[in-house]
Amino acid sequence: MPLIETDNLWKTYTMGSEKVHALRSVSLTIEKGEYVAIMGPSGSGKSTLMNLIGCLDSPTQGEYWLNEKRVSIMNDNELATIRNREIGFVFQTFNLLPRATSLHNVELPLIYNGTSASTRDEMAKAALTKVNLADRIMHKPSELSGGQRQRVAVARALVNNPSIILADEPTGNLDSKTSEEIMRLFVDLHRAGNTIITVTHELSVAKHAHRVLSILDGKIASDESISESQRNGYTD
Amino acid sequence: MRILGALIHIAFAAIFANKLRSGLTFIGILFGVTSVMTIMSFLEGAMGTIEKQLQALGPSTFMVSKMMMAFSEDEFLEKMKRKPITLEQADLIDRECQLCDKVSPRMFTGEDIKYGSQRLRDVGIMAGKSNLIDIVDIQVAQGRFHSSEDDLYRRKVVFIGDLIRETFFEGVDPLGQVIKIGSRKYTVIGIAKKRGSMFGESQDDFVIIPLSTAVRQFGLPRRGGVFLTVKAISVDRLEETMDEVRLLLRTTRKVPYADKDDFDMETAESILERFNQFTMMFRLVFVGISGISLVIGGIVVMNIMMVSVTERTREIGIRKSLGAKQKHILLQFLFESVILTLSGGVAGVALGFLVAQALAGKVDLDINPSAVAISAGLIVSTGIGLIFGIYPAMKAARLDPIKALSYE
Repeated sequence: MPLIETDNLWKTYTMGSEKVHALRSVSLTIEKGEYVAIMGPSGSGKSTLMNLIGCLDSPTQGEYWLNEKRVSIMNDNELATIRNREIGFVFQTFNLLPRATSLHNVELPLIYNGTSASTRDEMAKAALTKVNLADRIMHKPSELSGGQRQRVAVARALVNNPSIILADEPTGNLDSKTSEEIMRLFVDLHRAGNTIITVTHELSVAKHAHRVLSILDGKIASDESISESQRNGYTD
Repeated sequence: MRILGALIHIAFAAIFANKLRSGLTFIGILFGVTSVMTIMSFLEGAMGTIEKQLQALGPSTFMVSKMMMAFSEDEFLEKMKRKPITLEQADLIDRECQLCDKVSPRMFTGEDIKYGSQRLRDVGIMAGKSNLIDIVDIQVAQGRFHSSEDDLYRRKVVFIGDLIRETFFEGVDPLGQVIKIGSRKYTVIGIAKKRGSMFGESQDDFVIIPLSTAVRQFGLPRRGGVFLTVKAISVDRLEETMDEVRLLLRTTRKVPYADKDDFDMETAESILERFNQFTMMFRLVFVGISGISLVIGGIVVMNIMMVSVTERTREIGIRKSLGAKQKHILLQFLFESVILTLSGGVAGVALGFLVAQALAGKVDLDINPSAVAISAGLIVSTGIGLIFGIYPAMKAARLDPIKALSYE
């Protein structure tokens, strides 16, 4: 069974008397170890799809299996558990707790699955070391650069060894040089065996992926593999 | 358990991150609990003092008079109509009662007393037999109490309270001095130990004379008659003794079989019980009024927690996206409000007690921290944190993670 399998996913919002279909019958599969970019202009439904894949939301209709679990029928608390175990989020705005140190930010997912304080500390330090921030563990977000903040967020996404890393416009708030740095980090993580899904509208971000899904009007418009030569010289 | 510990930790961190807001909440509860504690400690101290006075009587002792207590106007007027208990009736009980260990009649009046040119107005005069000293909370400091001979021969001797000594005999040996009670002269034979004051009233403002002497000079007080203090031969036989005295009194006072007693009999315990009953409503009202400030404190807590939840919407979204369940968010905010109110409660209990003690110093009440008041203060402040914190916490727990994450 693939890591992610959706069958006929619909997401419909009711606005007043009008029904808006954000997703129309999306069926896709993603295997373990893939690096997938989901592209589309704003309003295309790519954010809705990301929310569904990230288990932040439930589909109106259709089925979704994540790592052999039938997520589409789960309630709020079951979804929270899935997010905790299976998904590592990286957001455009970093979404770090502003008053907390890097270490505390990274250990947050571990708090909610009952990991002991000493193990949390160890795992968070290991994750920060993986993103080259071992010397910044006691810094607060305000004391870090944008690229460093996003690396803290990546460390937080990694700390629990999730099935997928789900990045939503991960370079949207970064300059081009820092963006490259973060993209290289994703390439490295992918090479280390992680499954990565990025949602973006930027071609420069998408081209690092091995497969690009284009979304338009709530449907998958295209699903292409990207060859090595197209990947801007990055190899894995 | 590990999660709970971490959530408590998070709650503390949030409290210290918002010092002004936390401080305001803390003060809101502090004042509420302080006012309730002050009132409660004060009332308890007052009740305790009364209780101590009554218990000085001892458990095997009871009192008889035409009227011990009246808690309504009707009751008072009805009891006023009763005939006073006479000295003869008291003597009869003393002679006849088999189960009585001691029978001590007493009467009270008030007169001006004079020493040389000095005068004290309307001093309480207690008259009793020689055994009176055994049943009242008065000790001999100097000289002696009157003897049964003094009573038998109606000697004009007086035992004085410390305030009288202080006023009249500064630098003079009081023993053997002559003072005037009303129009007659009495020789001072003894002085009582200082008793201090209660409810701001001196307890040393009295003189005691032999009962027979008092009856000859003042007659029987029409209003009160004789008060009898009776000690039973044992605590176990208190009920029986009371029945015997009741029977003797009913017979000699010719109370018809079907009628109620035309006199009151009370033990220290029964007086205390009735007094407690009588003052219960009054005390509840007082505690209730001071409790209003606690409700206001609770509303402050709720208000501040609501603001806190709104301000931290994004934080809640982040936590949820990382796997926090509803109960985790709920508990985090609930811990926060309870930590605030409970710490306000602890401080309020301590402060309330100190304020009560400071006030009590002015009226000579003995105030001690009671387990009841302390646990009530702590339970109530925790309860306020829970009751007024639950709605904001539920609001936080139910936030939609997607909306919370995009909240600006």
